Amino acid sequence: MDIDVYAVWPLFVMVIIIAYTSTKSSTYLTVFNFENILSQVAPLGIVTMGQAILLISAGLDLSVGYNIALSSIVTGLLLEHGYSLWLAIGAGVLAAMAVGFTNGVLVAQNRAHPFIITLGMSIFLFGLDTQLTGGAPVNDMKGLYTAFGGNLANGFPFFGLPTVAIPLVIVVAFAYFFLRWTPLGRRAYAIGGNEEAAYLSGIPIKRTKILLYTLMGAIVGLTGMVLAGQINEASFNLAQNFELESIACAVIGGTALFGGRGGALRSLQGVALWGVVQNAIVFVGLSSNYQQMALGAIIVIAVMAQRPER
Amino acid sequence: MADPVLLEVEHVGKHFPGVQALDDVSMTLRAGEVHGLVGQNGAGKSTLVKCITGVHPPDAGQIELEGDPITTYMPKRAYDLGIAVVHQRTKLIPYLSVAENVLLGHLPTYHGAVIQRGEANRVTRDLLKRFRLRLDPEMLVHRLGPAERQQVAIARALFRRARLLILDEPTAALDAERAEHLFELIGDLQMQGVGILYVSHHLEEVFRLADQITVLRDGKVVATRPVGELDQNEVVTLMAGRRLENGIARPVGATAPESEPLLELDGVSNPVLRDIRLSVGAGEVVGVTGVIGAGGHDIARALFGLEHLSSGEIRLLGEPYVPQGPRQAIARGLFLVPEDPTRDGLVPVLSVAQNITIVDLPGITRGGLLSLRKERAIARRYVDELSIATGSIDTPVRNLSGGNQQKVLVAKALALGAQVLVLEEPTQGVDVHATAEIHRIVRSLADGGKAVMVISTDIRDLLQFVDRIVALRGGRAVADLPAGETDYAHMLDLTVGSLGAVA
Repeated sequence: MDIDVYAVWPLFVMVIIIAYTSTKSSTYLTVFNFENILSQVAPLGIVTMGQAILLISAGLDLSVGYNIALSSIVTGLLLEHGYSLWLAIGAGVLAAMAVGFTNGVLVAQNRAHPFIITLGMSIFLFGLDTQLTGGAPVNDMKGLYTAFGGNLANGFPFFGLPTVAIPLVIVVAFAYFFLRWTPLGRRAYAIGGNEEAAYLSGIPIKRTKILLYTLMGAIVGLTGMVLAGQINEASFNLAQNFELESIACAVIGGTALFGGRGGALRSLQGVALWGVVQNAIVFVGLSSNYQQMALGAIIVIAVMAQRPER
Repeated sequence: MADPVLLEVEHVGKHFPGVQALDDVSMTLRAGEVHGLVGQNGAGKSTLVKCITGVHPPDAGQIELEGDPITTYMPKRAYDLGIAVVHQRTKLIPYLSVAENVLLGHLPTYHGAVIQRGEANRVTRDLLKRFRLRLDPEMLVHRLGPAERQQVAIARALFRRARLLILDEPTAALDAERAEHLFELIGDLQMQGVGILYVSHHLEEVFRLADQITVLRDGKVVATRPVGELDQNEVVTLMAGRRLENGIARPVGATAPESEPLLELDGVSNPVLRDIRLSVGAGEVVGVTGVIGAGGHDIARALFGLEHLSSGEIRLLGEPYVPQGPRQAIARGLFLVPEDPTRDGLVPVLSVAQNITIVDLPGITRGGLLSLRKERAIARRYVDELSIATGSIDTPVRNLSGGNQQKVLVAKALALGAQVLVLEEPTQGVDVHATAEIHRIVRSLADGGKAVMVISTDIRDLLQFVDRIVALRGGRAVADLPAGETDYAHMLDLTVGSLGAVA
């Protein structure tokens, strides 16, 4: 297999950053620190997989931030009222899927760009989320906190990794598999690459879009469970900026913003670079304002570094 | 004939890889003259227009505008010199007003900052009035129909003081009444000294409007004469390159198909098509030809469910068929190879293999998952069978040549197992070698028992490999003949000359 420089450049950049930062701080290059990075980016990583699938189909979802919050709030409120854990999780995930399905139907039926449709959904959900909670967070996620709030056992085979690594690995594996080996994943590439040709080839455009946005809803629901469990809180601002950060991570990794190209592992590289940069800035001794500047710069560089078309 | 010479094309030559597109072309166009430019597809008309408008610099000879040789070849420069082209694809900005489109780049402003809307509308209104154009300067362009858009494009050219206006197939999207308005406008422009190069397949129009006609064939000028010294039959003969026999159109459907018909159209009509009756049998290749707008493209789109039928019946593989869309057409065994592969047919970023199998994903799905091994096997088989020149089956199709992209489209039809294929302009823009291969492939498809309809404006190309050929004119099938009983000149006469003229 030949190595495609365009596909793996985030890895190279990451190695350089890690090498540089390790000369600046003796506590940087430790297992603990990298577990910390993993625990920080895992929820973003999960939702980035869904965003990558949508971007490949020339779609996107700007409502993921408040949809993650919605699923956590639904679950959190049910737990608060004494419902069982599984029922609460089921309801939270279904709520997110219902939002995804609605996005899908609206995108499939309208000629309007998914940008504006999911932006509208996002603003709607912000209102719904604050209405449901009255602005106050739910502070006890019970079994979810037990599941995602801590770390796995030390030593072989889990080495004390944060538990949130498990859903991340599962979703990345799923997205990789989905895009490579399922007809629906292939249809996403075809629609994103040339919707007219896909239509003339007999691909059911509307049905495919609805399924993809619903799948995004399911991934969002899972993210909601993981994130709310991890910090033991459900609130409207649980996942602020996740919509733009997940798009940024996917694009940094080499997923095309306008469809047809990209993949799960590439997008994961974007997530990893994102986490490493955020963390390294702290170790180099710069203020968190520089985090934002560095992340902003990386997005722009990533887009410029993409393989030239034609 | 006292009018001053406006445009002088002197011994212009233009060579493209593998083809001499223009060879020693000379013609003269005077101010206030309408000059008809005619010739078959590929005769060099559009290359000549592109040389005049600065898109392509000529390799030999020179072009003079009012005695000054044009030296800098850039489309913008041509515009500055007063040369403007109006064709179907002339770009207007949809959400700006008529006035803003007409004055674009020269809008009156307050200190260069704010547009003087009232002034812009006034200037435009004056201009429109002067040329008797009935347009509202304040109307947004996206609300206009094709005829009005064309008027906006012409008004823009006039505003920039175009002295030479090139009209390329100007009536293609116009109904008879709108075309009549255009002809009146052309008359007005002539009076004001504008020279017009009128490029068209419609000889009746050319004979009605032109003072002078230049006929191109294979990149050479075969005649450039005043209209009075030519008649329509003579022009068709000149375009075809040999004398017309006294061919008489045989009645439509006179040849009984020898094989079982797989596709039958009976009285198919829609706003373009008029009572189309034709059939394609198993093992048969049927060519359908006519000028742009004559209905070939519409037959393809109607069959694939992309355009509605107002009446008529279609039978596909012997069963009644009501087109509902590509998905249903494909399920019924009908496949369309569209005319622009990269725009409509293929997903450029996906690989050759992925493009071939996209049309039948269920065919490579095993237990709900894609079998990449089966996909590769299918792709290899058709890459070999059709000798598709590609680095590998994993190469993105956008890296393939036009001819090979066409072959990938044919491979899709084969992978699908379609019994009826409709190919639109399959040899357009592909080189001689690839053309020959496409002919061979189409023949072998028919030999394998498939029914193939080839829709093309290129008569000579069709005659090389079809069994029967249908001539379209104004949405009607005016002849349906075995390829052996007709020839290029005859078909040309049917599609553009007096022979096929519908009473």
